[in-house]
Amino acid sequence: MDYDQFFQTIVNSATLGSTYALIALGYTMVYGILKLLNFAHGDVFMVGAYVGFGVLTLFGGAIDPSISIWLVLLLMALAAMAACAVLGVVIERFAYRPLRDAPRIAPLISALGVSFFLSYSVQLLFGAEHRTYDSFNMAGGKLYEPAVTIGSFSISWLRVIGIVAALVLMLLLWLLVARTRIGKAMRATSIDRDAAAMMGIDIDRVIMFAFVLSGALAGAAGVLFALRTDVYPQMGFTPGLFAFTAAVIGGIGSIPGAMLGGFLLGTVEALTVTYLTQWIGIPVGLSNLVIFSLLIVFMLVRPQGILGRPDIKKV
Amino acid sequence: MTEGPRIGQDEWVARSAENIGRHPLLRAADRVPGWARLLLFVVAVALIPLITDDGYINAVVFDTLIFCLLAVGLNVVVGWGGLLDLGYIAFFGVGAYTYAILSSEKFDLHLSSLVVMAICVILGALLGLLVGLPSWRLSGDYLAIVTLFVYQIFISIVTNGHDLFGVDLTGGVNGIANLDPFDLFGIEIVVSKDGIFNSNYVYVALGVFLVVFTALYLVNHSRIGRAWRALREDTLAAELMGMPTDWLKLLAFAFGAAVASLTGSLFASLKVGVFPETFSLTLLITVYAMLILGGVGSQTGAVVGAVVVYVFLEALRDPDVSGWVFYLAALVALVLVVRPRRMIAVVLAATAVFGFVVHAIAGAIDPDWTTSAPPDADAVTRFLDAWVVIPQTPGDAKTIAYIGLIALILLATTVKGIWRWAVLVPTLYLAAFVWENVMSQQPDVTRFVLLGALLVGVMVTRPSGILGERRVEVV
Amino acid sequence: MKRRALIAAALATLVAASLAASAGADTQAGARSEAAAVSCNGTINIGNLTVLTGPAAFLGQSQQSWAALAAKRVGAQLGLKARVIGYDTTLDPAVALTAAQRLVGNRSILAAIGPATSGGVAATSKTLRDASVVHVTPSATRTSLTKGGTPEATSYFYRVVADDSVQGTGQAKHAVERLNADKATVFDAQEPYSVGLANTIERALERRNVTVQRLSVSNNTTDFSSFVTRIAGDTDVVFTPFQVAANANQIAVLLKEQGKRAIVFGGDGTADPAFKVPGSYFSNFAPDLNGVAGKQAIINAWKRDNPERTLDPFGPPAYGAVQSILYAAKRACTGKRSIERVNIKRKMKAGAIPNWILGGNFRFSSKTNDPLNGGFWLFQIQPDGTARQVGRL
Repeated sequence: MDYDQFFQTIVNSATLGSTYALIALGYTMVYGILKLLNFAHGDVFMVGAYVGFGVLTLFGGAIDPSISIWLVLLLMALAAMAACAVLGVVIERFAYRPLRDAPRIAPLISALGVSFFLSYSVQLLFGAEHRTYDSFNMAGGKLYEPAVTIGSFSISWLRVIGIVAALVLMLLLWLLVARTRIGKAMRATSIDRDAAAMMGIDIDRVIMFAFVLSGALAGAAGVLFALRTDVYPQMGFTPGLFAFTAAVIGGIGSIPGAMLGGFLLGTVEALTVTYLTQWIGIPVGLSNLVIFSLLIVFMLVRPQGILGRPDIKKV
Repeated sequence: MTEGPRIGQDEWVARSAENIGRHPLLRAADRVPGWARLLLFVVAVALIPLITDDGYINAVVFDTLIFCLLAVGLNVVVGWGGLLDLGYIAFFGVGAYTYAILSSEKFDLHLSSLVVMAICVILGALLGLLVGLPSWRLSGDYLAIVTLFVYQIFISIVTNGHDLFGVDLTGGVNGIANLDPFDLFGIEIVVSKDGIFNSNYVYVALGVFLVVFTALYLVNHSRIGRAWRALREDTLAAELMGMPTDWLKLLAFAFGAAVASLTGSLFASLKVGVFPETFSLTLLITVYAMLILGGVGSQTGAVVGAVVVYVFLEALRDPDVSGWVFYLAALVALVLVVRPRRMIAVVLAATAVFGFVVHAIAGAIDPDWTTSAPPDADAVTRFLDAWVVIPQTPGDAKTIAYIGLIALILLATTVKGIWRWAVLVPTLYLAAFVWENVMSQQPDVTRFVLLGALLVGVMVTRPSGILGERRVEVV
Repeated sequence: MKRRALIAAALATLVAASLAASAGADTQAGARSEAAAVSCNGTINIGNLTVLTGPAAFLGQSQQSWAALAAKRVGAQLGLKARVIGYDTTLDPAVALTAAQRLVGNRSILAAIGPATSGGVAATSKTLRDASVVHVTPSATRTSLTKGGTPEATSYFYRVVADDSVQGTGQAKHAVERLNADKATVFDAQEPYSVGLANTIERALERRNVTVQRLSVSNNTTDFSSFVTRIAGDTDVVFTPFQVAANANQIAVLLKEQGKRAIVFGGDGTADPAFKVPGSYFSNFAPDLNGVAGKQAIINAWKRDNPERTLDPFGPPAYGAVQSILYAAKRACTGKRSIERVNIKRKMKAGAIPNWILGGNFRFSSKTNDPLNGGFWLFQIQPDGTARQVGRL
C-alpha cells in the first residue's frame, strides 16, 4: 500500500473539493431563491481569476512585488471578491431580473448568453493565452515548501492556505446565513418567495445579496484555483460544470448540501483518476466516463440530492 | 409584456385577443397556409445554387440547412415536449459517426446512404428512448443535468474510442476520415469538383429538410401533438385525464433524437470526415440560441432563427462585412430604443458632432492618439479615421473603453426620456471606438460576443423569441 | 404591433445585406475551374488557415502575426507586394473545411499556409489540391500527412517543420541514452497534436525496453494533481507533449510538490516562457531565435508590430512558410507578367531559400514535402528560469 499516494489523494480531494464547494455554494444560493441554473457562474469565477492577475501585475508580479507578497495575495483575493460581487449584481439586475416572471427557459438562455459574452469578451480583451500567477516563484518558493510533514509525505503551504481559506469563507457564509437577519430573509425567500414578500421582506434586496455572496465566493475560488493552475478564458468551464454537479448532488438549494457535494465530488474525481481507473483496468482518459456514469446512477437513485428536499408539487 | 390568460379567461379567448393586437402585416402572413410558406422557403433556397457558382456560398447554404434541421429537431424536445435536453448534440454525433462507420474505408463497409440514414433514424430513436428514460424519475432541471452527463459520456467514448477493449471504433481524437459521398439510389454525388463544393448537396439537404419538416408538422397536428400541447399547458391535469405522460415525454425525446441523428448522417456525407471537436458545447449553445431566438414551440421560428443566426455568424467572420453589420445593427437598435422617431436624427447628429470634437481634442493632446487614413483609402475609411479616435497603441484604453461601453449601454436602458438621448450620444461614439479598436481586430471572437449579447437582449425584451408561443414552460 | 414588424423588417434587411455583402466580398464572377491569373505587380494574396478562435487561439493569432510580418519583409526583399488573409479553422476540422471552401473561392489567393492542425489538414487537403492551392503548414506534425500513403497526403501539402516521427524518436533516444531512463510516463491531452507525438514517443520508448505509463487527460483538464499522484516515485522522465506550455509547467511544479524526482520533457509546444521549472527539457524545431545570427532585426520588427504579444514558438515557422511561398512566387514570376496557382506548385522545390527564419538555408526534401534534414533542437531550463540550447535531438 503506497501510503504517500493515499495521503496525496486525500489532499487532492480536499483541494479539489474546496474549490468545487465554493463555486457550488454560488449555484445553490441562486437556485434556492430564483430556481435558476446560473450558467454564467463559471465565467464569473474566471473573471475573478483575471482580476487577481491584474492586481498581481499592478504590484509588480510574483517574483519581485513592490509590497509584501502576502499582502498582495490578500489584496488579490479581496479585489476578486469585490469585482465578482459587483459583476454578479449587474448580471442579475440586467439579465435575470426582467425575466423573473417569464417562462423558466428564458432566464436559462439569458444565462447562456451572459456566459458566452463573458468568456469571449475576456478573450477579445486579453487574448486566449494562458497566464500564470507564477506561484512557484512567489516568496522565493515558500508556497511550495512543506507546511505539514507526516513521515515521508508532506503538504505544501499553498494547499494548506487554499483549504483553510476556503473553509473560513464557508464558515463565514454559514454564519451569515444562519445568524443574521438578511440570512434569515434569504432562507425564507428560498422556501416560498411570495410568502416572504407578503411578510415584508424586500425580495429584490435579498436576491441582490445572494448574488453578492455567490459572486464573492466565486471570485475567491478563482484566485485560489489560479494559484495552483493558470488563467485563461475557458478556465471556468470544467470547474463550473463539476461545481454545478456538486450542488445538485448535495441537494440544490441547500447550503450545507453544496459544501458536502463539493467535497464529495472532489473525492470522487481524485479517487477515480488515481485508483478506480487502475482497478477497473481502463485508461485514465476514460475517468470522465466513469465519473459521469456514477453520477447518472446517483441521480436516478436519489434525484433530490443528498440533503435536498423531494420535489413535492402542490396542486 | 407577457400576458397570459387571466383568471377566469378561456385560453382561446386569450389567444384571439393577442391576435387582434398583432400587426396587420403579420396577420396577413398568418393567413398564407403553412404549406405555401414552406414551398416559398424551399424554392427560394433552391434558387441560390442556380444563381451563384461560389462553393463557399453553397457550403454556407448547406450548413444553414443542417442547422435548420437541428433546430427543428430540438424544437420537438424543448418546444413541444417541454423537456430541457442539454445532450442533444450527442445524437447528432451518433448519427455522424454511424454514417462514418458504415460508409467509409474504416471497416470497408459501403452501405448505401439511404440505408444508412434509415439506420440512423432508428438508432437515434432508440437512443432517445434510452436517454429519455430518466425523465420518468427526474423533472426539469435534474433531467437537464443528466442529459448533460450523457453528452459528456458520449464525448468521452468518442475521444477514447480508438482503444475500446482493443477495438478501434471511432478513431479517437483523429476521427474517421475518407467517408463515402452521398449516393442516391446508386448515383454518387461527388463532394467537390476542383475543390469547389458540389451544389447538388444543397438539393439533397433541401430534400431531407422538406421530408423532416413535413413529417414533424403532421405529427404536431395529430393526436400526439395535441397530447404534447396538453402536457405543456398543465402536466398534472393531463395525467389526471389519463394521458400516458411518461410515454409522451419519451416520444418527444425519441423524435428529437431521431431527427438529430438523421441530420448527423447527412452532415457526415458531405464533410469528408467526422471528428470529436465538431460536437462541442458551443455547437449546442448555438442551436439553442437559434431555437430560442426564433421562438420555442414554433417550427417556422426554428427555421427563421437558424437562418438568421447562422448567416450572421458567417457574415461576421469577414472583417469588411462585419463592420457594416455592426453599424447597421447599432442603427436598428437605435430605432427600437428611441421614441419619438424623429429624435433619432437629433441623436445621430449630436453623436457626429461629439465625435468630431473628441477627435479634435485627442489629436491636439497627442498626435499618436489618432490615425490618419492613407490617401488611397475609400471614403468610409477616411470618414471613420477622421471621426473615431484610433490611437496607435491603444493599450489599457481598450479594456476601460469596453467596460465603459457596457456600463453606458446598461445605463441607457435604465433611464428614460431626455436622459436616454443624452446618454446615447457618448454611448454610440464609444461603441464606434470599441468596434474600430477592439472588436474589428478579431472578428471571429467578436461574433460570439455579439451572439451572447444578442441572446441576452432578445430574452430580456422578448422572452418568447421572434415567432414563439407565449407560454412554453419547462415541465 | 408595429414594433414586431419593425424588428422583422430590420432582421430581414440585415440578413439580406449580410448575404449580399459576403457574396460580393469574397468572390469574383462566375468561372469555376478556369484558373485566375494574378499579376506579378499586384498583390499576392496568401491564405492562412489557422486556429483564430477557441482555446488554441493564441497559436493561430501568433502565426497570423508572424505571417503578416513575413509578407511585409520578405515581400519587400523580393520586390513583391504580399498580403496574408486569415481564415479561422477553429479546432474543428469540419469548420476547417468550410474555411477552405471560402479560401478556394477567393480567386485572388494564390497559395496558403496552414492548416495549423493535423486534423484540419486531413479534412481540407483534398479540397485544396483539387483547387490547385499549395498549402504549407508551420505546425501540423502528424507523420502520415506526408509519409504513409494515406489519401489525405497530397502533393500540394508541404511542411516547413519536421514531423512527429523525428521529434518523438529523438526525445525517446535522449531520455534513454542521456538521462538513463528505464521508467517513464507519457501524457497526452486527447487532441491530435499531443496524441500523435505521445504515440511516437511511447513506441520509441517501448522499443528501447522502457516501462511506459500512458496518462491521457481530457483536453479541458485544469487541475492535474490527481494525475500526477498516479506517477510512481521512481519514474525517471515524464513526457508532456502539450500545446499549452502552462499545463506542462503545472505538471512539473506538481511533481516537485509531491516530492517526485522525475524530470519533465516537453515538446515544441512547450518552447514558451510559461514552461520554466529548472531542470526540465524541451525540444523545438528551431534553434533559439535570439541566438541565431541576424534574426534580432526580425524579432525587433515583430515586437514593434505586436507590442502586446509575447514571443512564442509557433509563430516563426509561419514566417518561414510564407517565405517558401514568396520565393516560389518570385521564381514563377521571372519572365512572366502574371502567374496562377499551379505556377506556385511548380516552383516550390525549385531551389533553396536563403535567410531562412530558423537559420541557414532551407530546402525541401526531394522525396517528400518535408524539410530536408529537418531536425529538433534540445533545450534545458536553467536555474534562473531561462532556456538554454544544449544540443540537437
